[in-house]
Amino acid sequence: MKKSSFFASASALCLGLVLAVGVASQADAAAKCIKGDRKAPYTIGWANIYSVPTWMKQTQGTIEAEVEALKKQGLVDKLVVTDAQGDANVQIQQIQSMIDSNVDAIILIAGSSTAPARVIADACAKGIAIINFDSLVDTDQVTAKVNTDSSQWGDQAAKFLIDAIGGKGKILILNGPAGVSVSDDRRKGADAELKAHPDVKILAETNTPYNVAPAQEAVTSLLFANPEIDGILSLGGALSAGAVLALDKQGRDQVPITGENARQFLELWKEKGLKSWATMQPNWLGAFATYTAVQALEGKDVPAFVKIPLPVIDNSNIDQYLARAKDFPADGYIYSPYDEELFKKLLAQK
Amino acid sequence: MSIIPYARADGALYWQVQARRNIGVRSLFLVVLAFLIAYAVLFPGLFTVSGFAKFTQSWFPLALVAMAQAILMLTGGISLAIGATVSLGAVIAATTMGGPLGIAGGAAAVALAGLGIGAATGFIVVRLRLPAIVVTLAGSFIIGGAALLILPRPGGSIPAWLSDLLAGDTPAAFVLLVVVVLLWKLYLATPLGLSLYAAGENPVGAYRSGVPVDAARVAAYAISGLLSTGAGLFVAAQTGSGDPVIGTAFTLNSIAAAVLGGIGFLGGQGTMRGALAGSLLLSLMISVMFFLGFTPVAQYVAQGLIIIGAVAIPQFRKVQQ
Repeated sequence: MKKSSFFASASALCLGLVLAVGVASQADAAAKCIKGDRKAPYTIGWANIYSVPTWMKQTQGTIEAEVEALKKQGLVDKLVVTDAQGDANVQIQQIQSMIDSNVDAIILIAGSSTAPARVIADACAKGIAIINFDSLVDTDQVTAKVNTDSSQWGDQAAKFLIDAIGGKGKILILNGPAGVSVSDDRRKGADAELKAHPDVKILAETNTPYNVAPAQEAVTSLLFANPEIDGILSLGGALSAGAVLALDKQGRDQVPITGENARQFLELWKEKGLKSWATMQPNWLGAFATYTAVQALEGKDVPAFVKIPLPVIDNSNIDQYLARAKDFPADGYIYSPYDEELFKKLLAQK
Repeated sequence: MSIIPYARADGALYWQVQARRNIGVRSLFLVVLAFLIAYAVLFPGLFTVSGFAKFTQSWFPLALVAMAQAILMLTGGISLAIGATVSLGAVIAATTMGGPLGIAGGAAAVALAGLGIGAATGFIVVRLRLPAIVVTLAGSFIIGGAALLILPRPGGSIPAWLSDLLAGDTPAAFVLLVVVVLLWKLYLATPLGLSLYAAGENPVGAYRSGVPVDAARVAAYAISGLLSTGAGLFVAAQTGSGDPVIGTAFTLNSIAAAVLGGIGFLGGQGTMRGALAGSLLLSLMISVMFFLGFTPVAQYVAQGLIIIGAVAIPQFRKVQQ
């Protein structure tokens, strides 16, 4: 045992040295993974984990729009799209295929926060720009990661809800699937606020996919068990819509609830006059990731982590969002507006 | 036991039997071969050592779970817990190998967990005479829950050198697969292995002939569990870490690979080489469709058509005969 751990640490040390030398010899301005040997127009690979949910389709829509814009500038000539159908192993294989076919950039939403780390490191070593957004991978072998702050999401949602129920009461917590980082991080983010208010009692928590039907079902059965509920801390838009529908179908009074920019939820919010607050994971993260990849390939330095500030929807601006509702699918997400100016500003922040 | 010496004495008979077994899967082999050629044309890098290594690494875990499912289906059983067992193997490997147990201890823990879970499942199914589909469905929740308890969110680690050894630029995965297949051949030559087909095809007849039917079926479940956690260990090495839900898709894919490979649901029908070819086709399809530039939607459709085609071709032949 000792021997093997000695070898492991020795080889780790050697690897560290090699890496350090490699980093030092790199051109100083270029972003990570970029070697400067790739020339425009670029081929972009979009390694999607699952293309079926509406959020993903809308995100892909922003990527395609961005690629069209970049094509006009002569910077991109091709977009290659894969869909791993929810299987992290297939996603690894597809990223490997992208490396084999020598794409210039890979943008990805990871199906697992750990699984693609090694294949991404391989891609990075071949000078492929890697922009990872939404669901992130625990590795630093990427050009940049782009995301909102999930724990801030949970924190702000908990703050609003605790405030809305007057600092005490019985609440339900609706989470996304168990074992998924985003859902885990949002929930953890809410912890500090919940602990600080011992009078807020958690009746039950649910783990469901981010879909209306399963959330509605889960909340309906919780309603039978709990005659008294003062608020619902929902950490996903479709979950909130499911909860509102469940309360409605059971003839119960609506309670303060947090949510997301799901069109269905925003419309229910207005219709039922809910006391609510929502944030979002903007779909244009996809467009921004594409933009960032091309910027990095063009030799610009990009930050290793771009934190996207959470846009907030409350009673003051919900009408602006609903005014644009017809431009979005009925089961889709009404994201905040974006343009290249916004992207430049986000990349300039340190 | 007496069959083996005969087969050895008369090599011709052995190959005759093997050839007869190939009849059902010959068209599948042709389809797989066509895909292999297509892949090699589209991606000539396949012929480099690292290209071949990466390709076999994508296939290897699927090949193992296809075998895990096939061995059960041959005895007339099935498992809906294979995906969860893969996840469990992965998280056990990722949480133990970096710790005091080390590589050997971790690998032993993975193997024991697989054998133990498999044997327990087999015992419940065989001795308590409960339907395998129900027992393994319930088992998948228990095992999947256990994986989430061990590692609530993706994490853990596998020593880098082990990852590089198993899933680096050398075709170690392919060598391992060859070893597993040879071990399977050896197992078929043991009394329990010989009983496998008999127990699946005609359990009552086999029992009356003195075949240890129950033991053969429980052993099949145990081996299936071992193969599943072994696949989990490989996935953990391949990804350098553990993920408590990484295996989920393997349940359906293992059944798809086995059925594609001509293994019947009723037991006793089909061959391991068929299941392996089925898994290879599923894995090849993903890469070939990528290089052909199929859009994701077209991939869904094409995947379904290829699977139906590969299953239907032998049926057409039978009808014609």
